[in-house]
Amino acid sequence: MNKNSQRLMFEFLNKNGIDNFVGVPDSTMKHLIYHAIKKKSIIIATKEEEAIGIATGMSLAKSPSLVFMQNAGFGNSISTITSLVQLYEIPLIFLIGWRGYLPNDAPEHTKFGKIQPEIIKSLGLKSKILSDSNWKKSCKWALTQLKANKPCSLIIKREFYD
Amino acid sequence: MIRKEALEIVAKTCKNNPIVSANGYISRDLFETYEKPSNFYMIGSMGLASSIALGIALKKPKKKVFVFDGDGNILMNLGSLTTIGVISPKNLVHVVFDNSIHESTGGQPTHSSVIKIEKIAKSCGYTVYKIKSKAKLKDVLTKFKNFRGPIMILVKVEASKKISSRVQLSPLEIKRRFMKSI
Repeated sequence: MNKNSQRLMFEFLNKNGIDNFVGVPDSTMKHLIYHAIKKKSIIIATKEEEAIGIATGMSLAKSPSLVFMQNAGFGNSISTITSLVQLYEIPLIFLIGWRGYLPNDAPEHTKFGKIQPEIIKSLGLKSKILSDSNWKKSCKWALTQLKANKPCSLIIKREFYD
Repeated sequence: MIRKEALEIVAKTCKNNPIVSANGYISRDLFETYEKPSNFYMIGSMGLASSIALGIALKKPKKKVFVFDGDGNILMNLGSLTTIGVISPKNLVHVVFDNSIHESTGGQPTHSSVIKIEKIAKSCGYTVYKIKSKAKLKDVLTKFKNFRGPIMILVKVEASKKISSRVQLSPLEIKRRFMKSI
């Protein structure tokens, strides 16, 4: 997703009730994170599980949150998702950066990038893959999931090399 | 003093304020000694009680939010101490019942018999009270009315063979009544 789409997506979610953006940074979504920092609606955690914990607390206090992370951190979080988020039905939107999407991404991302869709599927975590043209529709879908008390995920593809 | 005794002493001073309790025997002890709707029994996700409490404390600044943590739990999420230190919520009280073992998995040692949790917490910006006796614990709790967090009460406790029963509520019940109560 390009710079402008990321900015618009942050503004759209923030205007539509997502008060908090909690997570661990990922370059794939750095523009969205930049705007969340500017708006002071962000908490940068030390680890993805910690971010999920903080966002869960906010959700229990009826303040909706999005948790952002790279897919490597999503791997770290699987047990927290099953034994906290899904167990207690905590409505959270996960924004996950898909490293290893491009065939020649850095080697440490290749394996997880490949198995990520299967892992999300076996978790039973509903997801949509974002693009510059569909992000608004996908965000509206995620907000509907949230209102129904269902956690869900939005996947943002890493489409550039550095 | 054993954990259950210490936990009961602290819990009674919490009145109706929210308590987030760590998984394992800590949640079980709380359920047996001071059951109330504003207890969030975290039955899975080891290590995250303080993070959940931080989220609540930030969104409910008028309530004192308590964490009932264990040494094994906090050692698993030391990053949480740094995040709490940076954000510095004034309404957060972090109680750590430290027996230097993973009691609910069979009493294996944790690092807290060697590493000083209070030193880590202090360098993260907590005000720390380290307590070893019931009398001291009661004394510290009476001085608590006008505290400014984040505060850590590190209570050294002994291992015990008394085991409390499991939390007799479903996770969804725990969540619903907790949300209603705060």
